[in-house]
Parts: sequence; C-alpha cells; structure tokens
Amino acid sequence: MRLRLSYDDRSAAILVFPVLAVLLVVAAYPILYSFWVSLHDIVLTRPLRRPFVWFENYERMLGDARFHTAVLRTTVYTVVTVTVTTVLAVGVALFLNESFRGNKLLNALLLLPWATPSIVNGLMWKWIYDPTYGLMNALLVKLGLLDSYRAWLGDPDLTLFLISNAAIWKQMPLAALLLLVTMKAIPDDLYRAAKVDGATVFQRFVHVTLPALKPGLMLVLVYETMISIRHFDLFLIMTQGGPGDASYTLSWLIYVETFRSLRFGTGAALSYLLAMLTFLLSWLVIRALGERNA
Amino acid sequence: MAAITLQGVTKRYGSVTAVQALDLAIHEGEFMVLLGPSGCGKTTTLNMIAGLEEISDGTLLFDTTDVTRLPPHKREVAMVFQSYALYPNKTVAENIAFPLKLRRVPKAEIERAVAGVAEQLELTPLLGRRPNQLSGGQRQRVALGRAIVRQPSVFLMDEPLSNLDATLRLSMRSLIKRLHHQLKATFVYVTHDQAEALTLADRIAVMRGGVVQQLDTPEGIYERPANIFVASFLGSPQINLLREGLPRPDWVAEGRDVIIGLRPEDVARPGEGLATLGGRVELVSPLGSETQLEVALSGGSVTLRVPKDWRVREGEALEFGVDPARLHAFDAATEQRIAP
Repeated sequence: MRLRLSYDDRSAAILVFPVLAVLLVVAAYPILYSFWVSLHDIVLTRPLRRPFVWFENYERMLGDARFHTAVLRTTVYTVVTVTVTTVLAVGVALFLNESFRGNKLLNALLLLPWATPSIVNGLMWKWIYDPTYGLMNALLVKLGLLDSYRAWLGDPDLTLFLISNAAIWKQMPLAALLLLVTMKAIPDDLYRAAKVDGATVFQRFVHVTLPALKPGLMLVLVYETMISIRHFDLFLIMTQGGPGDASYTLSWLIYVETFRSLRFGTGAALSYLLAMLTFLLSWLVIRALGERNA
Repeated sequence: MAAITLQGVTKRYGSVTAVQALDLAIHEGEFMVLLGPSGCGKTTTLNMIAGLEEISDGTLLFDTTDVTRLPPHKREVAMVFQSYALYPNKTVAENIAFPLKLRRVPKAEIERAVAGVAEQLELTPLLGRRPNQLSGGQRQRVALGRAIVRQPSVFLMDEPLSNLDATLRLSMRSLIKRLHHQLKATFVYVTHDQAEALTLADRIAVMRGGVVQQLDTPEGIYERPANIFVASFLGSPQINLLREGLPRPDWVAEGRDVIIGLRPEDVARPGEGLATLGGRVELVSPLGSETQLEVALSGGSVTLRVPKDWRVREGEALEFGVDPARLHAFDAATEQRIAP
C-alpha cells in the first residue's frame, strides 16, 4: 500500500527533514552509542581489549560505596538548591510584580547573574569564599560576626551548601522571570474580587496567586531539578569533589570514572543511571503538581 | 441596607482627573445606574465606593458612617465584575462559599447558605463544576451567587452583562431586577448600555468626563434630557438635532440661537394640533414591527420611526406631523436644555 501524503504533509516533511537529520547525528547517535559503550568493559589504558559484558558495569556501580555517597550528596544538593531557588524566585517575582519606580531597571539587573557564564560564576564564588583574601571572610570579620578568617570550602559540613548558594545565585533569576511572566497573566479582577470578598494579603496569595502559579512552578521545579541533579562545572571549579567526599556528587563521580580513571564503560553506565534518576524525579514532580491541578 | 452619599468625591491620576467633585446621594434600597461612554469615570466611581480605588478628595458615607478610608472588606459591599472574576481553581460551591469561609462562618451554616443561593440562581446541578466548565451566563450567575451569599447591604456591579450575548443579557437583566426586589439592598450598577440602564434603574446618573450630566429617573432622563450629550446618548436611533428645518417651540424666545431635538418616534400622520413637515424619503429600513426612515428636510436629514402601515417608498415625498410640545430645545452655545 502506498502512503498518500497531502501537499501540506509533504511540505512539512521536507522542511523538517534537515533538522531531523542533524538531530539524529548529534543527539540520537551519541545516546545510542553511549548505551552500547556502557555494555562494554572499555578502559583506555588497554584500548584494544573491550569485551561485551552485558549489564556488569551497572551492577558494579550500583554496589560501589562511592555511588551511594554520590547519590546522597546529589540528593541533598538538588533538594536544597531547587527548594531555595524556587522559594526565592517566588518572592522576587512577587516583588517585581508590584509597580514601583525603578522596576524596569531591577528587572534588567535581575538577569545579570543568569547571563554570567558558569565558569565565571564558579570562579567568582570561589574568590568570595577564599580563606585568605575572600570577601565573605572580610565582611563577616568587619561586621564582628567572625573572629578570624576561615577556609569555608574546606569545611565538609558547609561545602555542599556553599556550592548550592553559588548555583542558586545563578539559577534563581530565570526562575523568577518565568514565575513573573505567569504572575503577570493573572487577571487583576481576581485580586479585586478577593479584596472585596475580604481576603488578606496572605489569603490573596494562597487563593489567587499560588493556584495560578502552578504551571509556572511546575516548569521551574522540573527545570531546576534537571539542572541541579546534573551540575558539574561548579564542583570542578570550586572543590573537585572534596574535602574528602563532601561534594562527591554523581556528575563528579562520572567525571572521575571516565576522564581520570579512563573507564569509559562504567562512566557511560553511570551516565545512564543519572539520566534515569533525572527522568524519575521530573516525572514525580510533574505527577505531584498535576494531581493537585486536576 | 445602606444609603450611599458621595460628597465632592474626586479621583486624580497624576495630572488627569477621572472623577471631578462628584456629589451623589444614593437612597437606601435604590437601584442606581451610572451610565456613560467609556472613560467617563463611572467604573472609577464604583471602584471608589467599593474601596478598590483611593479617593483623592471628598467624603464617602454609608448611611452616616464615613467609609472614605476604609478597606473594601470593612465596607460590607459585594461586587460583580464584567469578567466574572471567578477563582478558576475552585468549584462553583467553593467560589460561592469563599467570602463566608474568609469570615470564619461555621461550616454547616456555609453549606446551608450555598445551597440556598444555588437554588435561588438555579446553580444546584453545577455546584461541583469549575468555572472553565461553565457557559458565560452560568459564570455570571455564580458571580452573583458569590455576591449575594454574604447578604451585604450594598451591591456593586461593573458592567456585569457586557460579555454575554443578546438573548442571555435579556434574561440576566430580569434576574438582576428580581434579585433587587427580593434582597431590597442598595444596588449601584455601571453600564454603557442605555437599554440596561432604562430597564433596571430607579434613577440614572449620566456621566461624561468625570462629571454627572444628569441625575433623574429613566423617564426623566429620556423625556427631559438636561443637555445635548444626554439627549444623544439615550435613544436608539439617536435623537435628531437640527438648527433649522424643525418648528421652533413657542417657549423659546425669538432670536435665540437654538438647536431643536426630535426623537425619531415622536412623529404622526399630519393632523390637528400638529406642525406639518415635508421632505423626500432617502432610505427605508423595515424593522418588522415598524419602519425606520431617513427623510431629507430643508435643514438636514432626520431619522424617523413610523408604524409599518405607512408604506413609504424611497424617493417619494412624505408629509408628517410633529407635536411641538414633544420637541426639545437646547441653547446652541451652552448645549443646555431650554425648559418650557
């Protein structure tokens, strides 16, 4: 049987083909190839022997103590970063949604951290936290809140949160902007009706703003979760997984396995585990918010 | 119930004055309609009564209480918006219950009140639905329900029927009128639709440029318009206004520069006691129950509404009679009515 396409369908197919071809080469092929790699024992120190081992790499990594640490660190880091980013973004969006002099300027300034390249952001915070010439030490000592300079990033109890802080600084603006756009779409009459009905500022937030914000919140939560769970650049610049294993996250483990130990097979397997974890978490967030929306 | 008194109420936005020193006394239980074209200050006035806009100058009294600086929820008013303003995430029942819930009314009492209102507005089968599952008319009934459930003494309505189609508007109009009779509360109703104003109002305040042009009963506004603006704003088709070509009423002094107004329906077959006018029929538009004509007179063209049995044809000459007592005279310079 011949497939009969209308003129519109044929034109669409022709127009979409180039993009599809490029995507197949640059996205689909690496995804499939890396899965293939994850099923082999590939170590670059002996490049010629690369036996097919089925899911042995996955098994080995799932039983590895470093993997368990990395999952724990990644979870803590993601939960803290996403929660604080979202809460701050809601606050900033609420503030910028008010009309006041200088509002436009603040809107533009807000995007500065977001526009800063990750590497620059990482270096900047590394300097701020620096034990000898860091701004944070200077500020806290001058304010009398600290007696002497401290090696902030050397403190295993703090490291993860300090990196998280740097990530929040960069990620919050976009989240705030996304929420602000959603907020701007809430009809003014709803607030007026709520005022006449007798709602306080807080009740108006709970009954009008928050329900309307759900689609935006879902986008922010999913997006921030996906970004945070895979964060790598800040860890590379600021702590390299240390001190000890205090900032040993999944993406750092993948880096160490793949590019330091040159074990490409287990590296690829870990990447697949991380991807699945990302999907799972995003799906949970979407489901949780979707259910309350229905 | 409450009487509403506005004393010199003014609203300024920067250098723009939206409402200018408005004096208006709305009686207890009255249905007051604020009527005017967009930008005339009617909605701003309503918002000031609701407490949604700050009053720049002047005093607002509910009975004898000064509420000028009181926030909306302390004024015990209910408001219905053109956009319905229903909470999209709440069901019909939750929307109606919301004002009571905020006032911490006991749950059983809320349920009883919601059921009562739903029955009154025929919303009972819809109580579990969300606003996006309702038609425009149903949404507006829910909005009315949310307003009446609190039994406030003042109802404020901001063009509540403007988003509805013509048929629905008629039935909602009678529903609102019935509600007013049942609730015996004070209603302030903003509209730009003269038919709504004429059918609903006890009194109408016609506004332009933030100033009340005339405050009177619907009949008074229609029969004795205070100026040319009011005369042309009410009536469809519009009143005919000519400097020449219409007879001068005898109460207008000789030599005074005037504009004469003739309502399209105030014509008859020539007869005794009537001034006879003649012209050529330019356009005939049958409207079913009657016919609308455009007739060229010596001083200009006029629109007339005549019984359908007049059987006029385009291009023909037509003679018709006008009762001079039914004519309106306005000063050409001030545009104010010259009363008999």
